[in-house]
Amino acid sequence: MTPGSKQYLPPEVLARIGRLDLRARAVVDGVLTGMHKSPYKGNSVEFLQHREYTRGDDLRRVDWKVWGRQDRLYIKEFEDETNLRLFLLVDGSASMDYTPPRFRDGPGLTKYDYAATLAASLGWLGLSQGDAVGCAVFDNQVRASLPARTSRSHLAGLVSALEQPRQKQPSDFLAVLRGLAETLPRRGLVVICSDLLGDRAGVFKGLQLLRQRGHDLAIFHVLDDDELDFPFEGPTRFEGLELPEELACNPRALRAGYLEAIEAFLTEVRTHAARARCDYHLVRTSQPIDSALVNFLARRARLRA
Amino acid sequence: MPTFDFTTLLWWGLPFAAAPVVIHLINLLRHKVVRWPTMEFLLASQRKYRTQILLKQLLLLLLRVLAIVGLVGLLAQPRWTAGLGRLLGGQQTTHVVLLDDSFSMGETLAAGTTGEAEEDVTAFVRGRRMVARLLDDLAATPGRHTITVGRCSELAASLETATPATEEATSDRFDLRDELISPQNLPALRRVVDGLRISATATGPTDALRSIPPLLSGQAAGVLWLITDLRSRDWQTSEPMADILQPLAAAGVEIHLVDAAAGAPDTDSEPATQQPNLTVERIEMVGGVPASDVLLPWQITLRNHGTHPVGPVPLAIREDGLDRPGVQVDAIPPGDTATVRFESRFPNAGGHLVEVELPPDRLAQDNQRTAAIEVVDEADVLIIAPASGAGGESPDAFYLATALNPGGAAATGLRPRIEPPQALAALDLGQFDSIWLVDVGRLTAAQIASLETYARAGGGVVFFVGPTTSAEAINTSLFRDGDGLFPAPLAGAVDLLPDPRNPDAPDVIAETHPVVAILSGRRNPFLDAVRIDRYMAIDRSYAPPADSGFRRLLSLRNRAALAVERPFGNGLGVAILTTAGPVWNNWSRNNPSWVVVMLELEGQLARLRQQHTELLVGQPFDVALEPGIDHIDVDFQRPPHGAIVRQVASATASGQLTARLTETDTPGGYTARWQTVNGTPREQLVAVNVNPAEGSLSRLSPADLGNVLAGVPFTYDRADLLQASGDRGRGASLLRPLLLLLLCILLVEQLVSYVVSYHPVRRRSP
Repeated sequence: MTPGSKQYLPPEVLARIGRLDLRARAVVDGVLTGMHKSPYKGNSVEFLQHREYTRGDDLRRVDWKVWGRQDRLYIKEFEDETNLRLFLLVDGSASMDYTPPRFRDGPGLTKYDYAATLAASLGWLGLSQGDAVGCAVFDNQVRASLPARTSRSHLAGLVSALEQPRQKQPSDFLAVLRGLAETLPRRGLVVICSDLLGDRAGVFKGLQLLRQRGHDLAIFHVLDDDELDFPFEGPTRFEGLELPEELACNPRALRAGYLEAIEAFLTEVRTHAARARCDYHLVRTSQPIDSALVNFLARRARLRA
Repeated sequence: MPTFDFTTLLWWGLPFAAAPVVIHLINLLRHKVVRWPTMEFLLASQRKYRTQILLKQLLLLLLRVLAIVGLVGLLAQPRWTAGLGRLLGGQQTTHVVLLDDSFSMGETLAAGTTGEAEEDVTAFVRGRRMVARLLDDLAATPGRHTITVGRCSELAASLETATPATEEATSDRFDLRDELISPQNLPALRRVVDGLRISATATGPTDALRSIPPLLSGQAAGVLWLITDLRSRDWQTSEPMADILQPLAAAGVEIHLVDAAAGAPDTDSEPATQQPNLTVERIEMVGGVPASDVLLPWQITLRNHGTHPVGPVPLAIREDGLDRPGVQVDAIPPGDTATVRFESRFPNAGGHLVEVELPPDRLAQDNQRTAAIEVVDEADVLIIAPASGAGGESPDAFYLATALNPGGAAATGLRPRIEPPQALAALDLGQFDSIWLVDVGRLTAAQIASLETYARAGGGVVFFVGPTTSAEAINTSLFRDGDGLFPAPLAGAVDLLPDPRNPDAPDVIAETHPVVAILSGRRNPFLDAVRIDRYMAIDRSYAPPADSGFRRLLSLRNRAALAVERPFGNGLGVAILTTAGPVWNNWSRNNPSWVVVMLELEGQLARLRQQHTELLVGQPFDVALEPGIDHIDVDFQRPPHGAIVRQVASATASGQLTARLTETDTPGGYTARWQTVNGTPREQLVAVNVNPAEGSLSRLSPADLGNVLAGVPFTYDRADLLQASGDRGRGASLLRPLLLLLLCILLVEQLVSYVVSYHPVRRRSP
């Protein structure tokens, strides 16, 4: 079964599930049903090479058999000697709480709901494979943070952190990402679930910092359908969720210019993501989360292959 | 500047033009609120397109306002009038209506309705009603409008007699002349128009149009309404029509050709179920002598103008107003004629009328025709013959007189009178039905002049030759190289030699000619028995001119001519190139064909004098009087009710004393009565008939009309559909251009609206 042929769980159905952990479970079940093999590697004892001992090397890695035969100290190196360290960074800024007018007709996921569910699902997947999973929710600073752990019981803390009440301040990507780059103890996969709205230069610089620290980066760029299509008509007053601006206008007249601007924004984000070697995924809130997840995992598998 | 028919509607409707602005303002107050995350992009779009959006919105608003203004303007019926004159009320529009009243306008298009006093709807009635509508509309239209109405027959008749001195009289022929149209005098104008009646003339609009240019010259705004039935006969040769209309159009006159017969089936394309128009084309006497108690044969010619055969067709016949048994025509081929004969006998001398009438059809006016005939107790025939050697009667004259009046039970109505050549100058030749000259040797100049005067006036003269006839005298005094009365130059007397190869061949051959028609076509034992021994040969070098009317009646077996004729003035000269008596032939001796040919010849000559008793409607009825003998007061009796019109005779340009009746506008029999100075009553009868050619109802299509009037700007209208509404008098209607403009505005509005509006697009894949 290919990812494309799978029947995914629509977000409006997922929205009916109130608890985040259950939502994540529903998503992960779907993913695992579709893909029986985890793309992540666990502990590995696959020998890679020998190298000469240098000062400071762990003596436990010395190959004593070689020393016995040749009287020289060599260190044994293995291909992957540790589990994946997955760190989930979820944007909890005000802009992630955009509630589309269509929600008056039926339930749906806000961008934050979508991002949190995505993060929880990823966390569930990682923990179930023995990876260490940590997470943080941020706006202009990190509001909730959980270090990476491999314990299956860690999932409850993960969900709890994502469900904590948020301050909904404008995001400050540079500060948050710089802090993260400095505090993350080991290299790993940093997955950012955000709409990336805010100081774009800060976003790109923060990504660069994480990359320089050797972290593998993935971005789920979560946007609502309304933000991408701008389907409004009739006289409307727009009030900024993060910016203190408002604009009364005829949306039909501004639509073309708006779409041009957001297309330019997406292009800029894609360019910088590629430059920082980020695995970039633009996801709509109307897109099934398991579909987005499967796409992500499939792409990761291809990259590793 | 534009004006509007419904100004009130305009003022009530214009405030609605503010509706788009009001709706826009209301929409601004009724906006919804959206808390929006990507404000920076929205603001960027607003900054980038603010001016463009504002302009588009203003343009959209303007277009919507204009659309409403245009719609209100359309409903208010806009027009374009020139200058400020209209505002000041100083502009005058001159309307000239030319109404074709030729009798083809009498074609019945629909049966009468009770609302219109049961009057059948003819093309003329349609045209008249259209004029009435025009009057009504112009009376209700602001501005100063004058109207002139004329009928083609009246105007054409006035032009024939118009001179600068009679110009004032010409203007009297208009039914309305420069009449100001106002609500006050509208009833009077309507009465005149309602009283217009169709004429019996065949006068098309061409001649009448010549009287129009003076009426419209110098007018600030002139409109010509030509109401006609567009008959092909009037328009196919209408290059003069374009010549007349072109200067009018160049002078700014608005020309409207109003088709009064539109919707009527064209003769060329009429359905088989449509009754075609039949016309009595001719009624004529085809033999005999118009004398009392003499049986006279008549022939009626009928024409079928339709595209399918018609028949049987019953014909009613009246003699002097009394019905007599009718006749029937079995079938008339399409587009062709058929003839039928009947006989009549008048017991009394004097003028008589014979009328024939067809059953009613699409055009009633050409269904009847009248013939007038002057019947005498006995017709005097003058036979000029030299006295015989013994001083007695010429044998040739005897045989001839016997043929013309055999006596006994056979009444020919002829009274032959044998006189010597001297009588030609001494007698009043006008009293004779015909003159026959039998072997007259040489005539004096006075005798020849008298004879030729008689022939020019319509008399028929027959020459028999004989032993005393001199070919040289005939050629020099009577033929005169074709200027004289004798039909052909003679070479001299020759014998008709036997034909050894065909000894039984008849000597005389009848040619194709009405006089000998009864003998031609097959072997006739009586004609075959005629033996010609000698004859006068025509000069072999003589070749009659093609337009001379020279015809052979009889030929000899050697192809030499035996009897020939040639018109002379209104009369006829006939030469029979053998003797009247049995000298050079045996024809007159106990051969019935001799009597038949002589009587037929006399009948033809008599008809010559009768043919001047028919006129077409509109032609003047002239009575020639003799000064000193006749009184100059002549009473003309006109049909249909016998009204008497007294005219005083006057001398014409040629010096002839003539009494003239010009009002011959009704078909029928006209009688002129006067007295001689010694109290003897005189009478002359003519039949006035319609022109049968007008019976053709073939019509010009509007497309053909464009070709005929190429280069002349005109508007084609249908009288039955045209709502005059004073359109042309009040300026050009702006309905069409405004409608077009409104459509353009709406189209642009839709385009702009599309450009500034939202259109769902296919969702982009993430």
